[in-house]
Amino acid sequence: MKLQLLAAAALVLGAAGAADAHGPTRQKTEQKVEINASPDKVWKVVGNWLDMSWLPPVEKTEGDAAAEKGAKRKITLKGGAIVEEELNQYAADKMMYSYRITNVDVKVLPVSNYSSKIIVKGEGDKTTVTWDGAFYRGFPNNDPPPELSDEAALKAVSGLYRAGLDNLKKKVEGGS
Amino acid sequence: MRLGALLAAVCLVVAGPSRADEAFVTNQSSDDLSVIDLASGKTLATIPIGGRPAGVAVSKDGARVYVTSPEGKALNVVDAAARQVVAKIDVGGGPLGVAAHPSGSLVYVADWYAHKIHVVDPVARKVTGSIEVGLSPSGLAVTPDGKLLLSADRDSNEVSIVDVASAKRVAQLRVGDRPFGVTIDAKGERAYTANVATNDVSVIDIAARKVVGSVKVGDRPYAVALAGGRGFVTDQYQEQVSVFDLSSLKPVATIPVGEYPEGIEASRDGRFVYVSNWFSNTLSEIDVATLKVTREMTTGNGPRSFGSFIRVTP
Repeated sequence: MKLQLLAAAALVLGAAGAADAHGPTRQKTEQKVEINASPDKVWKVVGNWLDMSWLPPVEKTEGDAAAEKGAKRKITLKGGAIVEEELNQYAADKMMYSYRITNVDVKVLPVSNYSSKIIVKGEGDKTTVTWDGAFYRGFPNNDPPPELSDEAALKAVSGLYRAGLDNLKKKVEGGS
Repeated sequence: MRLGALLAAVCLVVAGPSRADEAFVTNQSSDDLSVIDLASGKTLATIPIGGRPAGVAVSKDGARVYVTSPEGKALNVVDAAARQVVAKIDVGGGPLGVAAHPSGSLVYVADWYAHKIHVVDPVARKVTGSIEVGLSPSGLAVTPDGKLLLSADRDSNEVSIVDVASAKRVAQLRVGDRPFGVTIDAKGERAYTANVATNDVSVIDIAARKVVGSVKVGDRPYAVALAGGRGFVTDQYQEQVSVFDLSSLKPVATIPVGEYPEGIEASRDGRFVYVSNWFSNTLSEIDVATLKVTREMTTGNGPRSFGSFIRVTP
């Protein structure tokens, strides 16, 4: 029994460590897209916190309907992987929200301590969507393997944003 | 006497421009160090560093600036006036937090992975010893009398108090969760840690070796600066600085700054507080009297300035 307790304690400690520990260098990326549509029209899509279908790998989005600080959502990707996120700030008047990932497998997205902000700005029929990400690499210790390095994290997030924003443009301009 | 006064006035005028503080900002993403003149707000020099610089400590006499390269596993010794790296000392592991002893003869480097502090002789340019502390030591600070070293041990949720003479830990204090920056007041009486996971600041009575209070701040606090009887705390996830009163430990204000504010320090005269905004690539200047941002200066990419980064020019 003593051994079991010890094992349980180790598991708990291990889990806490994995969730919080991170490498020494935070990475950042900023991706933008220009959309030929009004900011209101774009925000209607982007601001819907429970519909991430404009991001290509997403299968479905579920969670708290009230978009406010602390609200949670669960995103299921095509293939079944799950990403859990929490709202940090939601400001419809500024057409922006920021959130963080509370749970993701590094095999799905090779990052830790990920936080992000998406903002819609524009005039008339020209709108810019800016997506910012801040995160550490997936490997919390020294000398990471290549697939969990700073470069791998940066490439994965930048690629995801790019694919998402390009698809958003297509979706909004196509009127679908 | 008249002549004396005149001479003094002349001296003041002459000394004026060269006495401005300078900020030595570690730019982690652009791998360099910005030297910013805090009088004009202009960048005077950009010094290449490498190894993703993060931690910084200016020596008491302002002659040297010590910069850690966590990915380069090195401590860089910068000649502040010459704007040059004069030595790169291999310390191994993941050097992050750094503090200079007021005597100038020792530099302490926290190893994020090895759970110890390296003791470095910056003149001989070598590691001369190590001090065992808790898990993932991050922020370091030495008391003004040079007798004690404090280490925020992030993954132990503790602050270690180290006796400098014996290089041994003499106390471990439970603070909030994931303490990162640690700041000691000018008298060496109290220390303040920014606790990333509990969104608060722990207040330590150094002589009593006790946590005597805590203050709620915003999301993901990084570090604390002290000026005008107040504490200034960077809230990374809220693009703001939380201000609290050092006597009552009550919140006073929040000041909007750039995105992901991190390193923060007061000017030596206590009139201004400077904040490195990691995502925005700017340095904000806060007027301590009005609690307003008075200027935004441009830095390199990814400024962190983790530690003491303001140099008073001689």
